[in-house]
Amino acid sequence: MSTPIEEAARRIAAQGESRPRLARDPVNQAMINNWVEAMGDANPRYAPGEDTVAPPAMIQAWTMPGLHGQRAGDDPLGAMMSILDDAGYTSVVATNSEQNYHRYLRPGEHVSATNRLESVAGPKRTALGEGWFVTTRTTWYVGDEVVADMLFRVLKFRPGGGTTAAAEPAAVLRPVISKDTEFFWEGTRLGELRIQRWGDTLRHPPGPMPPDGDLDAKPGWVVARGTGTVYSYLVHHHPQVPGKRTPFVVALVELDEGVRVLGELLDASPDEVHIGLPVEAAFVRVDDELTLPAWKVRA
Amino acid sequence: MTLSGKAAIAGIGATEFSKDSGRSELRLAAECVSAAVRDAGLTPSDVDGLVTFTMDGNAEIAVARELGIPELSFFSRIHYGGGAAAATVQQAAMAVATGMADVVVAYRAFNERSGMRFGQVSSAAAHQVNTSGVDNSFHYPMGLATPAATVALVAQRYLHTYGATSEDFGRVAVVDRKHAATNPDAWFHGKPITLAEHQASRWVAEPLHLLDCCQESDGGVALVVTSAERARDLPNPPALITAAAQGSGPGQYIMTSYYRDDLAALPEMGVVGGQLWRQSGLARSDIDVAVLYDHFTPYVLMQLEELGFCGRGEAKDFVRDGALELDGALPLNPHGGQLGEAYIHGMNGIAEAVRQLRGTAVNQVGGAANVLVTAGTGVPTSGLILTAA
Amino acid sequence: MSITVGTELPPLTIEATPTFVISTALATRDFQDVHHDRDSAVARGSKDIFLNILTDTGLVQRFVTDWAGPEAFVRSIRIRLGVPCYAGDTLTFTGRVTACEGDDAEITVTATDSLGEHVTGTVRITLPGGGS
Repeated sequence: MSTPIEEAARRIAAQGESRPRLARDPVNQAMINNWVEAMGDANPRYAPGEDTVAPPAMIQAWTMPGLHGQRAGDDPLGAMMSILDDAGYTSVVATNSEQNYHRYLRPGEHVSATNRLESVAGPKRTALGEGWFVTTRTTWYVGDEVVADMLFRVLKFRPGGGTTAAAEPAAVLRPVISKDTEFFWEGTRLGELRIQRWGDTLRHPPGPMPPDGDLDAKPGWVVARGTGTVYSYLVHHHPQVPGKRTPFVVALVELDEGVRVLGELLDASPDEVHIGLPVEAAFVRVDDELTLPAWKVRA
Repeated sequence: MTLSGKAAIAGIGATEFSKDSGRSELRLAAECVSAAVRDAGLTPSDVDGLVTFTMDGNAEIAVARELGIPELSFFSRIHYGGGAAAATVQQAAMAVATGMADVVVAYRAFNERSGMRFGQVSSAAAHQVNTSGVDNSFHYPMGLATPAATVALVAQRYLHTYGATSEDFGRVAVVDRKHAATNPDAWFHGKPITLAEHQASRWVAEPLHLLDCCQESDGGVALVVTSAERARDLPNPPALITAAAQGSGPGQYIMTSYYRDDLAALPEMGVVGGQLWRQSGLARSDIDVAVLYDHFTPYVLMQLEELGFCGRGEAKDFVRDGALELDGALPLNPHGGQLGEAYIHGMNGIAEAVRQLRGTAVNQVGGAANVLVTAGTGVPTSGLILTAA
Repeated sequence: MSITVGTELPPLTIEATPTFVISTALATRDFQDVHHDRDSAVARGSKDIFLNILTDTGLVQRFVTDWAGPEAFVRSIRIRLGVPCYAGDTLTFTGRVTACEGDDAEITVTATDSLGEHVTGTVRITLPGGGS
């Protein structure tokens, strides 16, 4: 089975190389000057003079579409981009560039470029979001002579759905913390699973009032031993959840102290999880501000 | 003093149900309200009250402006997601019964599939700065962040406690889709499923398969409520509001009431059910059709238990022998429910109840006189018993 | 000059000011808004405008030829991008010779910013009479 995106990729790749597209301007000293000035490159070979050459790394700049430029109708990268745009993968970031320079170019030479689609791989989960890696091959010519070539890869991604390691700060859904719950999050930062205590009664999730309604009572907390058993659980498959890698297990654990606390059950094979499974507390540090409580299977 | 029999649903209206309406939510609201008012034989200038969900994106005044409703003397909103559905009718009935308004329209319209999808992770829900945001802080950051996941945790405990199986959940989906298959307005018209297909569908949040989860839809539904007396003079047979109730239970959360003694239960629906039976004076056997909120199949089984149609833990046996079929003991969701017809946050189920009482449903249950309708479960919820006049 | 495997290149530090990010993007004729319009970059999920890949290739070239001298012929530049380089960050290039054969040498280059590795790559050059 292949997806519509893979079908489209095969079709576009099968079209092979696009027609050559001529650079807007011949290689010229003015653009070279602008380039080396911006880059801060003082290499004397690019300075005006009889033996001037263009910086080799400028090759792609000569054939860029420009401010109002449009991709040619047969440009495979443009066609693939619009298919991925339509599929919701609207953002793009370049990931790889591999340029080979056969010779340096001199002012007055007029390059042209052809493109072809090499491969489309995905969907992949990346730190930026789910996306497809699109790889193209560009060849630059002066007349019939190949002067440079490039393998270029971009990630075309759906922004916002980023999932990386559980401790990726940008991706985690952060808790809203109130005066009643801040002790809990102070505890997790220290590796303590704190449970609110009103006299002899433990309460989780915590709140501002004791069970008996005594307005003069003040809450305290105990540090739970951290051991308990799975009271219920689920294995999450769809959709993606920020900061998590699917499938993952979320468990509601009944602590030995008698209260239930929810957390991800880390590194557990879904098949081995069952109600009654002994677990212990774990702590996933996200950043200086936030550590999430979690569980791991007790040995 | 009782609300029972004081008010009636005199008009129903809906847009088509789709995956991409191609128009604004306000346009959908205007279309369904307009259709409902017309169905009631009224005009917008007769309307003086509007009720919707707190989640609805269309302000009452915006709907009034678009339809040319000149003055509103009553407007109100109900909280807790799909739990609001039946309660919008309750609010409208209370307003009518107390003379606060003469004609109140309850509506819900959204682009839930092409716009903001409830099945996705909502960082807005996680980050709201209020008590619900604090409640969610003990769940969302840990990865429990979608409606399906919140239900899966309860479903797993239910399976464990009562020895039910995923196939028992699947039987609910199969009957809903069977009914939708013969309903031309249903998204899944002509597309019944088998229990094997249910079992083969991919996991969403184990133990929930994809086919345990309702679809996502664009559309709108509106219901016109007026006094029983006035309704009798209008063109369509009135659906009398015999009972209407809201309910929340001990240790109540939105979808995450995980800290109660019994996790495998929906006590908030028990609170609703108790009131419905008391207000109506009806027995379970008097109910001819049940329109039970079916965003996730396990909660249909648990509702059958909470409402007393069967004993605790016995829903799996109740649904095994065809009780939910159109000719069974308790025909379920003849329109196909939200699994089969459309997910309009429970409001399309109330419209179906009215059609059953009028005798105009596509999958008509013969002689239907009393229909019980419930709203969203896992949240503070609501319910109705409607009766043919 | 004498090149042997393991030779470290002198580090190069680039202050990636907004002006630098924009002027290099325009000099490479890359008019994508994420390289010059902060609001657009943020709307597309970035923290700020960021360096474009054509500039990365250019800077890697400069880093190597600053050290190898104007006679070096750059045969290839292969880079892979890691974390972005947002405006306001500082990029530090380090590199070392990882292969030598005759006049040809391969230099492995890394550029890091405050977020981590921005670029890793290899450059192949030919130095007329420069090998050892």
